[in-house]
Amino acid sequence: MPVDERELKSMLGGEDCKIMAGGTDLLVRIRSGRLSPSRIVSLARMKGMDGILDLGEEVSIGSRVTMSELLKCELIAASCPILPMVVREIGSPQIRNRATLAGNLVNASPAGDSIMALYLSNATVVISGVNGERREKVSSFIKGPGRTTLSRDEYVGAILLEKTPGYFPQFYKVGQRSAMAIAVASVGSLISGQEIRMAFGSVAPTVAVPEKACEYFEKAGEKFDDGEFARLAMLAISPIDDVRASAWYRSTVVKNLVQRTLNVWRKKG
Amino acid sequence: MKITLNVNGNLHEINIDPGDYLLEILRDLGYKSVRRSCHSASCGTCTVLVNGKPILSCSTFAASVDGQTIETVEGLSQGEKLHPIQEAILEEGAAQCGYCIPGIVLTGEALLRENPEPSDDDIKLALNGNVCRCTGYESQNRAIKKAAEAMRGDDYE
Repeated sequence: MPVDERELKSMLGGEDCKIMAGGTDLLVRIRSGRLSPSRIVSLARMKGMDGILDLGEEVSIGSRVTMSELLKCELIAASCPILPMVVREIGSPQIRNRATLAGNLVNASPAGDSIMALYLSNATVVISGVNGERREKVSSFIKGPGRTTLSRDEYVGAILLEKTPGYFPQFYKVGQRSAMAIAVASVGSLISGQEIRMAFGSVAPTVAVPEKACEYFEKAGEKFDDGEFARLAMLAISPIDDVRASAWYRSTVVKNLVQRTLNVWRKKG
Repeated sequence: MKITLNVNGNLHEINIDPGDYLLEILRDLGYKSVRRSCHSASCGTCTVLVNGKPILSCSTFAASVDGQTIETVEGLSQGEKLHPIQEAILEEGAAQCGYCIPGIVLTGEALLRENPEPSDDDIKLALNGNVCRCTGYESQNRAIKKAAEAMRGDDYE
Protein backbone atom coordinates (compact mmCIF):
# COMPACT_ATOMS: atom_id res chain seq x y z
CA MET A 1 0.00 0.00 0.00
CA PRO A 2 2.01 2.93 -1.30
CA VAL A 3 1.56 6.34 0.35
CA ASP A 4 2.53 8.54 -2.59
CA GLU A 5 3.03 8.38 -6.35
CA ARG A 6 6.80 7.90 -6.07
CA GLU A 7 6.29 4.80 -3.96
CA LEU A 8 3.48 3.63 -6.24
CA LYS A 9 5.76 3.79 -9.28
CA SER A 10 8.40 1.71 -7.48
CA MET A 11 5.85 -1.03 -6.74
CA LEU A 12 4.40 -1.48 -10.21
CA GLY A 13 5.40 -3.93 -12.89
CA GLY A 14 5.92 -7.67 -12.90
CA GLU A 15 3.58 -10.49 -13.80
CA ASP A 16 -0.07 -10.05 -12.96
CA CYS A 17 0.20 -7.21 -10.51
CA LYS A 18 -3.12 -5.40 -10.10
CA ILE A 19 -3.71 -1.85 -8.99
CA MET A 20 -6.79 -1.52 -6.81
CA ALA A 21 -8.80 1.61 -6.01
CA GLY A 22 -12.18 0.74 -4.48
CA GLY A 23 -11.91 -2.96 -5.28
CA THR A 24 -15.62 -3.27 -6.05
CA ASP A 25 -14.89 -5.11 -9.26
CA LEU A 26 -11.45 -6.61 -8.68
CA LEU A 27 -12.26 -8.25 -5.33
CA VAL A 28 -15.48 -9.75 -6.66
CA ARG A 29 -13.55 -11.33 -9.51
CA ILE A 30 -10.90 -12.62 -7.10
CA ARG A 31 -13.51 -14.04 -4.70
CA SER A 32 -15.22 -15.87 -7.51
CA GLY A 33 -11.91 -17.38 -8.61
CA ARG A 34 -11.93 -15.73 -12.03
CA LEU A 35 -8.75 -13.85 -11.23
CA SER A 36 -5.83 -14.58 -8.93
CA PRO A 37 -3.21 -11.86 -9.16
CA SER A 38 0.05 -12.55 -7.37
CA ARG A 39 0.16 -9.02 -6.03
CA ILE A 40 -2.33 -6.23 -5.41
CA VAL A 41 -1.20 -2.64 -5.02
CA SER A 42 -3.94 -0.84 -3.09
CA LEU A 43 -4.36 2.91 -3.37
CA ALA A 44 -6.11 3.03 0.02
CA ARG A 45 -3.30 4.86 1.82
CA MET A 46 -2.23 7.13 -1.03
CA LYS A 47 -1.98 10.83 -0.47
CA GLY A 48 -3.35 12.77 -3.42
CA MET A 49 -5.13 11.58 -6.56
CA ASP A 50 -8.34 12.35 -4.69
CA GLY A 51 -9.20 15.80 -6.03
CA ILE A 52 -11.78 17.19 -8.45
CA LEU A 53 -10.12 20.20 -10.06
CA ASP A 54 -11.41 23.00 -12.28
CA LEU A 55 -8.93 23.40 -15.16
CA GLY A 56 -10.93 25.99 -17.09
CA GLU A 57 -12.08 24.09 -20.19
CA GLU A 58 -11.81 20.75 -18.43
CA VAL A 59 -12.45 19.11 -15.08
CA SER A 60 -9.81 16.77 -13.66
CA ILE A 61 -10.99 13.82 -11.60
CA GLY A 62 -8.36 12.01 -9.53
CA SER A 63 -8.23 8.24 -9.60
CA ARG A 64 -9.23 7.83 -5.98
CA VAL A 65 -12.39 9.95 -6.21
CA THR A 66 -15.38 7.72 -5.47
CA MET A 67 -18.61 7.65 -7.46
CA SER A 68 -20.43 9.02 -4.38
CA GLU A 69 -18.07 11.98 -4.26
CA LEU A 70 -18.74 12.67 -7.95
CA LEU A 71 -22.48 12.72 -7.27
CA LYS A 72 -22.03 15.30 -4.50
CA CYS A 73 -19.72 17.59 -6.45
CA GLU A 74 -21.29 20.90 -7.50
CA LEU A 75 -18.58 21.62 -10.08
CA ILE A 76 -19.37 18.34 -11.86
CA ALA A 77 -23.12 18.90 -11.66
CA ALA A 78 -22.75 22.33 -13.26
CA SER A 79 -20.09 21.58 -15.87
CA CYS A 80 -20.47 17.87 -16.76
CA PRO A 81 -24.13 17.04 -16.04
CA ILE A 82 -24.03 13.83 -18.10
CA LEU A 83 -21.61 12.27 -15.59
CA PRO A 84 -23.85 12.29 -12.49
CA MET A 85 -26.75 11.22 -14.70
CA VAL A 86 -24.84 8.05 -15.55
CA VAL A 87 -23.09 7.50 -12.22
CA ARG A 88 -26.41 7.62 -10.34
CA GLU A 89 -27.40 4.41 -12.16
CA ILE A 90 -24.27 2.49 -11.21
CA GLY A 91 -24.44 -0.29 -8.61
CA SER A 92 -25.85 0.73 -5.25
CA PRO A 93 -24.94 3.32 -2.59
CA GLN A 94 -22.55 0.78 -1.02
CA ILE A 95 -20.79 0.21 -4.35
CA ARG A 96 -20.66 3.93 -5.18
CA ASN A 97 -19.04 4.67 -1.81
CA ARG A 98 -16.01 2.62 -2.88
CA ALA A 99 -16.03 2.47 -6.67
CA THR A 100 -14.06 4.96 -8.75
CA LEU A 101 -14.29 6.39 -12.25
CA ALA A 102 -10.70 5.34 -12.99
CA GLY A 103 -11.44 1.80 -11.83
CA ASN A 104 -14.46 1.53 -14.10
CA LEU A 105 -12.34 2.90 -16.96
CA VAL A 106 -9.41 0.48 -16.64
CA ASN A 107 -11.80 -2.48 -16.39
CA ALA A 108 -12.83 -1.43 -19.89
CA SER A 109 -16.08 -3.36 -19.80
CA PRO A 110 -18.32 -2.84 -22.85
CA ALA A 111 -21.06 -2.35 -20.26
CA GLY A 112 -19.05 0.13 -18.16
CA ASP A 113 -21.66 2.85 -17.83
CA SER A 114 -19.35 5.60 -16.67
CA ILE A 115 -17.06 4.96 -19.66
CA MET A 116 -19.89 6.14 -21.87
CA ALA A 117 -19.94 9.48 -20.05
CA LEU A 118 -16.20 9.72 -20.70
CA TYR A 119 -16.70 9.17 -24.44
CA LEU A 120 -19.42 11.82 -24.51
CA SER A 121 -17.18 14.22 -22.57
CA ASN A 122 -14.31 13.68 -24.99
CA ALA A 123 -12.23 12.65 -21.98
CA THR A 124 -8.46 12.47 -21.77
CA VAL A 125 -6.77 9.82 -19.64
CA VAL A 126 -3.69 11.00 -17.73
CA ILE A 127 -1.34 8.01 -17.49
CA SER A 128 1.76 7.99 -15.32
CA GLY A 129 4.62 5.57 -15.05
CA VAL A 130 8.32 5.31 -14.39
CA ASN A 131 8.96 6.92 -17.78
CA GLY A 132 6.89 9.99 -17.05
CA GLU A 133 3.41 11.02 -18.03
CA ARG A 134 1.42 10.55 -21.21
CA ARG A 135 -2.09 11.48 -22.24
CA GLU A 136 -4.54 9.65 -24.42
CA LYS A 137 -8.14 10.13 -25.51
CA VAL A 138 -10.48 7.61 -23.90
CA SER A 139 -11.53 6.26 -27.32
CA SER A 140 -7.97 5.18 -28.15
CA PHE A 141 -7.09 4.22 -24.54
CA ILE A 142 -9.69 1.44 -24.64
CA LYS A 143 -8.66 -1.33 -27.03
CA GLY A 144 -11.37 -3.92 -26.49
CA PRO A 145 -13.29 -5.70 -23.78
CA GLY A 146 -11.07 -5.56 -20.68
CA ARG A 147 -8.14 -4.22 -22.70
CA THR A 148 -6.51 -0.79 -22.57
CA THR A 149 -3.17 0.67 -23.63
CA LEU A 150 -2.07 0.77 -19.97
CA SER A 151 1.19 -1.15 -19.58
CA ARG A 152 2.24 -3.06 -16.47
CA ASP A 153 4.32 -0.25 -15.03
CA GLU A 154 1.74 2.48 -15.61
CA TYR A 155 -1.30 3.74 -13.75
CA VAL A 156 -4.13 6.18 -14.42
CA GLY A 157 -3.57 9.26 -12.28
CA ALA A 158 -6.57 11.30 -13.35
CA ILE A 159 -9.22 11.66 -16.02
CA LEU A 160 -9.93 15.00 -17.70
CA LEU A 161 -13.48 15.68 -18.86
CA GLU A 162 -14.37 18.42 -21.29
CA LYS A 163 -16.95 20.74 -19.75
CA THR A 164 -20.26 20.47 -21.58
CA PRO A 165 -22.66 22.82 -19.81
CA GLY A 166 -24.29 24.01 -23.06
CA TYR A 167 -25.37 20.50 -24.09
CA PHE A 168 -28.64 18.78 -23.29
CA PRO A 169 -27.67 15.49 -21.61
CA GLN A 170 -29.66 12.26 -21.84
CA PHE A 171 -28.89 8.77 -20.58
CA TYR A 172 -31.07 5.69 -20.84
CA LYS A 173 -30.15 2.29 -19.49
CA VAL A 174 -32.14 -0.87 -19.83
CA GLY A 175 -31.21 -3.60 -17.38
CA GLN A 176 -32.90 -6.54 -15.74
CA ARG A 177 -33.57 -4.51 -12.62
CA SER A 178 -33.00 -0.91 -11.63
CA ALA A 179 -30.11 -1.35 -9.18
CA MET A 180 -26.97 -3.47 -9.30
CA ALA A 181 -27.73 -4.51 -12.86
CA ILE A 182 -25.29 -4.69 -15.72
CA ALA A 183 -26.90 -2.94 -18.65
CA VAL A 184 -28.57 -4.91 -21.43
CA ALA A 185 -28.10 -1.82 -23.54
CA SER A 186 -27.65 1.87 -22.84
CA VAL A 187 -27.74 5.04 -24.89
CA GLY A 188 -26.23 8.35 -23.86
CA SER A 189 -26.16 11.64 -25.70
CA LEU A 190 -25.29 15.32 -25.55
CA ILE A 191 -27.13 17.62 -27.93
CA SER A 192 -26.52 21.31 -28.54
CA GLY A 193 -27.99 23.17 -31.47
CA GLN A 194 -26.71 21.38 -34.54
CA GLU A 195 -24.23 19.11 -32.76
CA ILE A 196 -24.91 15.70 -31.30
CA ARG A 197 -22.65 13.34 -29.40
CA MET A 198 -24.00 9.86 -28.88
CA ALA A 199 -22.66 6.61 -27.46
CA PHE A 200 -24.00 3.10 -26.91
CA GLY A 201 -23.14 0.68 -24.09
CA SER A 202 -23.27 -3.14 -24.02
CA VAL A 203 -23.86 -3.52 -27.76
CA ALA A 204 -20.27 -3.76 -29.08
CA PRO A 205 -16.84 -4.86 -27.77
CA THR A 206 -16.34 -1.33 -26.42
CA VAL A 207 -18.60 1.66 -25.96
CA ALA A 208 -19.73 2.43 -29.53
CA VAL A 209 -19.99 5.86 -31.12
CA PRO A 210 -22.35 6.18 -34.11
CA GLU A 211 -20.18 8.63 -36.01
CA LYS A 212 -22.11 8.44 -39.30
CA ALA A 213 -25.38 9.22 -37.55
CA CYS A 214 -23.82 12.14 -35.66
CA GLU A 215 -22.47 13.56 -38.95
CA TYR A 216 -25.88 13.17 -40.55
CA PHE A 217 -27.52 15.00 -37.64
CA GLU A 218 -25.17 17.91 -38.15
CA LYS A 219 -25.45 18.09 -41.95
CA ALA A 220 -28.98 17.01 -42.89
CA GLY A 221 -30.63 20.31 -41.97
CA GLU A 222 -34.25 20.51 -43.23
CA LYS A 223 -34.10 17.02 -44.72
CA PHE A 224 -33.40 15.36 -41.36
CA ASP A 225 -35.24 12.08 -41.04
CA ASP A 226 -35.47 10.06 -37.81
CA GLY A 227 -35.50 6.75 -39.64
CA GLU A 228 -32.31 7.55 -41.55
CA PHE A 229 -30.63 8.73 -38.35
CA ALA A 230 -31.58 5.47 -36.60
CA ARG A 231 -30.42 3.40 -39.58
CA LEU A 232 -26.99 5.07 -39.54
CA ALA A 233 -26.80 4.79 -35.75
CA MET A 234 -27.39 1.04 -35.93
CA LEU A 235 -24.32 0.62 -38.15
CA ALA A 236 -22.18 1.30 -35.08
CA ILE A 237 -23.40 -1.64 -33.04
CA SER A 238 -22.57 -5.35 -33.11
CA PRO A 239 -24.61 -6.82 -30.26
CA ILE A 240 -24.25 -10.41 -29.06
CA ASP A 241 -26.52 -12.98 -27.46
CA ASP A 242 -25.56 -13.60 -23.84
CA VAL A 243 -27.05 -14.43 -20.44
CA ARG A 244 -28.60 -10.98 -20.13
CA ALA A 245 -30.30 -10.57 -23.49
CA SER A 246 -30.36 -11.60 -27.13
CA ALA A 247 -28.71 -9.60 -29.89
CA TRP A 248 -32.13 -8.99 -31.44
CA TYR A 249 -33.49 -7.58 -28.19
CA ARG A 250 -30.44 -5.35 -27.76
CA SER A 251 -30.81 -3.94 -31.27
CA THR A 252 -34.48 -3.21 -30.71
CA VAL A 253 -33.74 -1.49 -27.40
CA VAL A 254 -31.04 0.70 -28.97
CA LYS A 255 -33.32 1.67 -31.85
CA ASN A 256 -36.11 2.64 -29.47
CA LEU A 257 -33.77 4.56 -27.17
CA VAL A 258 -32.34 6.47 -30.14
CA GLN A 259 -35.86 7.48 -31.10
CA ARG A 260 -36.62 8.45 -27.51
CA THR A 261 -33.47 10.58 -27.43
CA LEU A 262 -34.66 12.53 -30.50
CA ASN A 263 -38.21 12.86 -29.15
CA VAL A 264 -37.11 14.12 -25.75
CA TRP A 265 -34.66 16.55 -27.34
CA ARG A 266 -37.40 18.04 -29.53
CA LYS A 267 -39.71 18.42 -26.58
CA LYS A 268 -37.07 20.09 -24.39
CA GLY A 269 -35.09 21.84 -27.09
CA MET B 1 0.56 -7.28 8.92
CA LYS B 2 -0.74 -5.32 11.90
CA ILE B 3 -3.77 -3.07 11.62
CA THR B 4 -6.00 -1.14 14.00
CA LEU B 5 -9.75 -1.14 13.62
CA ASN B 6 -12.07 1.06 15.62
CA VAL B 7 -15.27 -0.97 15.71
CA ASN B 8 -18.20 0.68 17.49
CA GLY B 9 -15.70 2.60 19.62
CA ASN B 10 -13.67 -0.48 20.56
CA LEU B 11 -10.07 -0.46 19.40
CA HIS B 12 -8.79 -3.74 18.00
CA GLU B 13 -5.12 -4.17 17.19
CA ILE B 14 -4.91 -7.29 15.13
CA ASN B 15 -2.58 -9.27 12.92
CA ILE B 16 -4.04 -10.04 9.54
CA ASP B 17 -3.08 -11.34 6.15
CA PRO B 18 -3.08 -8.53 3.54
CA GLY B 19 -5.64 -10.54 1.57
CA ASP B 20 -8.14 -10.89 4.45
CA TYR B 21 -11.57 -9.43 3.83
CA LEU B 22 -13.21 -7.11 6.30
CA LEU B 23 -16.27 -9.40 6.51
CA GLU B 24 -14.37 -12.38 7.94
CA ILE B 25 -12.20 -10.22 10.21
CA LEU B 26 -15.26 -8.58 11.78
CA ARG B 27 -17.00 -11.93 12.30
CA ASP B 28 -13.84 -13.38 13.85
CA LEU B 29 -13.73 -10.42 16.22
CA GLY B 30 -17.25 -11.38 17.33
CA TYR B 31 -19.34 -8.93 15.33
CA LYS B 32 -21.71 -11.62 14.13
CA SER B 33 -24.36 -9.15 12.96
CA VAL B 34 -22.23 -8.76 9.84
CA ARG B 35 -23.67 -11.43 7.58
CA ARG B 36 -22.09 -13.38 4.83
CA SER B 37 -24.40 -14.21 1.97
CA CYS B 38 -23.78 -13.71 -1.75
CA HIS B 39 -20.06 -13.09 -1.43
CA SER B 40 -20.12 -11.21 -4.69
CA ALA B 41 -21.05 -7.63 -3.76
CA SER B 42 -24.65 -8.11 -4.85
CA CYS B 43 -26.90 -8.53 -1.84
CA GLY B 44 -25.92 -5.99 0.83
CA THR B 45 -26.21 -8.26 3.89
CA CYS B 46 -22.53 -7.69 4.74
CA THR B 47 -22.98 -3.89 4.84
CA VAL B 48 -21.04 -2.03 7.54
CA LEU B 49 -20.41 1.69 7.96
CA VAL B 50 -16.85 2.88 7.33
CA ASN B 51 -16.42 6.49 8.45
CA GLY B 52 -20.22 6.69 8.48
CA LYS B 53 -20.77 5.45 4.94
CA PRO B 54 -22.25 2.08 4.00
CA ILE B 55 -19.88 -0.26 2.19
CA LEU B 56 -19.80 -3.99 1.45
CA SER B 57 -17.42 -5.80 3.80
CA CYS B 58 -17.34 -8.91 1.55
CA SER B 59 -15.48 -7.00 -1.13
CA THR B 60 -13.27 -4.78 1.00
CA PHE B 61 -9.82 -5.72 2.25
CA ALA B 62 -9.48 -5.22 6.00
CA ALA B 63 -6.04 -3.73 5.31
CA SER B 64 -7.57 -0.95 3.24
CA VAL B 65 -9.62 0.36 6.18
CA ASP B 66 -6.75 0.30 8.67
CA GLY B 67 -7.18 3.03 11.27
CA GLN B 68 -10.72 3.85 10.17
CA THR B 69 -13.97 3.93 12.08
CA ILE B 70 -16.29 0.99 11.54
CA GLU B 71 -19.84 0.62 12.78
CA THR B 72 -21.93 -2.54 12.96
CA VAL B 73 -25.42 -3.11 14.33
CA GLU B 74 -23.92 -4.12 17.70
CA GLY B 75 -22.96 -0.46 18.14
CA LEU B 76 -26.44 0.93 17.48
CA SER B 77 -28.45 -0.64 20.28
CA GLN B 78 -27.61 0.25 23.85
CA GLY B 79 -28.04 -2.85 25.97
CA GLU B 80 -31.71 -3.75 25.86
CA LYS B 81 -32.63 -0.44 24.30
CA LEU B 82 -32.95 -0.83 20.57
CA HIS B 83 -32.11 1.83 18.00
CA PRO B 84 -35.20 3.64 16.60
CA ILE B 85 -34.76 1.93 13.23
CA GLN B 86 -34.69 -1.48 14.93
CA GLU B 87 -37.81 -0.56 16.94
CA ALA B 88 -39.61 0.59 13.82
CA ILE B 89 -38.66 -2.58 11.94
CA LEU B 90 -40.21 -4.64 14.76
CA GLU B 91 -43.34 -2.49 14.82
CA GLU B 92 -43.83 -2.63 11.07
CA GLY B 93 -43.19 -6.35 10.83
CA ALA B 94 -40.33 -5.58 8.46
CA ALA B 95 -38.18 -8.52 9.53
CA GLN B 96 -39.23 -11.99 8.53
CA CYS B 97 -36.25 -14.31 8.25
CA GLY B 98 -34.13 -11.37 9.43
CA TYR B 99 -30.99 -12.22 7.53
CA CYS B 100 -30.84 -8.95 5.58
CA ILE B 101 -31.88 -6.76 8.51
CA PRO B 102 -28.44 -5.73 9.88
CA GLY B 103 -27.50 -4.43 6.44
CA ILE B 104 -30.79 -2.62 6.05
CA VAL B 105 -30.58 -1.06 9.53
CA LEU B 106 -27.08 0.27 8.84
CA THR B 107 -27.92 1.55 5.37
CA GLY B 108 -31.01 3.23 6.81
CA GLU B 109 -28.97 4.75 9.64
CA ALA B 110 -26.45 6.22 7.18
CA LEU B 111 -29.31 7.67 5.14
CA LEU B 112 -30.97 9.29 8.16
CA ARG B 113 -27.72 10.86 9.34
CA GLU B 114 -27.35 12.54 5.97
CA ASN B 115 -31.02 13.17 5.31
CA PRO B 116 -33.21 13.21 8.45
CA GLU B 117 -36.36 13.74 6.39
CA PRO B 118 -36.14 11.32 3.46
CA SER B 119 -38.91 10.96 0.87
CA ASP B 120 -40.19 7.52 -0.14
CA ASP B 121 -37.96 7.68 -3.20
CA ASP B 122 -34.92 8.67 -1.13
CA ILE B 123 -35.45 5.56 1.00
CA LYS B 124 -35.94 3.29 -1.99
CA LEU B 125 -32.80 4.59 -3.67
CA ALA B 126 -30.78 4.25 -0.47
CA LEU B 127 -31.90 0.61 -0.08
CA ASN B 128 -31.16 -0.24 -3.72
CA GLY B 129 -28.21 -2.39 -2.72
CA ASN B 130 -29.92 -4.34 0.06
CA VAL B 131 -31.74 -7.41 -1.15
CA CYS B 132 -34.57 -8.85 0.95
CA ARG B 133 -36.30 -11.96 -0.34
CA CYS B 134 -39.09 -12.00 2.28
CA THR B 135 -40.81 -8.68 2.63
CA GLY B 136 -41.12 -6.90 -0.69
CA TYR B 137 -39.51 -3.82 0.89
CA GLU B 138 -42.71 -1.87 1.60
CA SER B 139 -42.61 -2.59 5.33
CA GLN B 140 -38.93 -1.67 5.50
CA ASN B 141 -39.53 1.61 3.72
CA ARG B 142 -42.32 2.35 6.20
CA ALA B 143 -40.06 1.41 9.10
CA ILE B 144 -37.30 3.78 8.04
CA LYS B 145 -39.79 6.58 7.54
CA LYS B 146 -41.24 5.92 10.98
CA ALA B 147 -37.78 5.82 12.55
CA ALA B 148 -36.93 9.12 10.85
CA GLU B 149 -40.00 10.70 12.46
CA ALA B 150 -39.12 9.26 15.85
CA MET B 151 -35.52 10.43 15.58
CA ARG B 152 -36.52 13.94 14.52
CA GLY B 153 -38.93 14.03 17.47
CA ASP B 154 -36.11 13.19 19.85
CA ASP B 155 -34.09 16.13 18.55
CA TYR B 156 -36.83 18.60 19.33
CA GLU B 157 -37.19 17.56 22.97
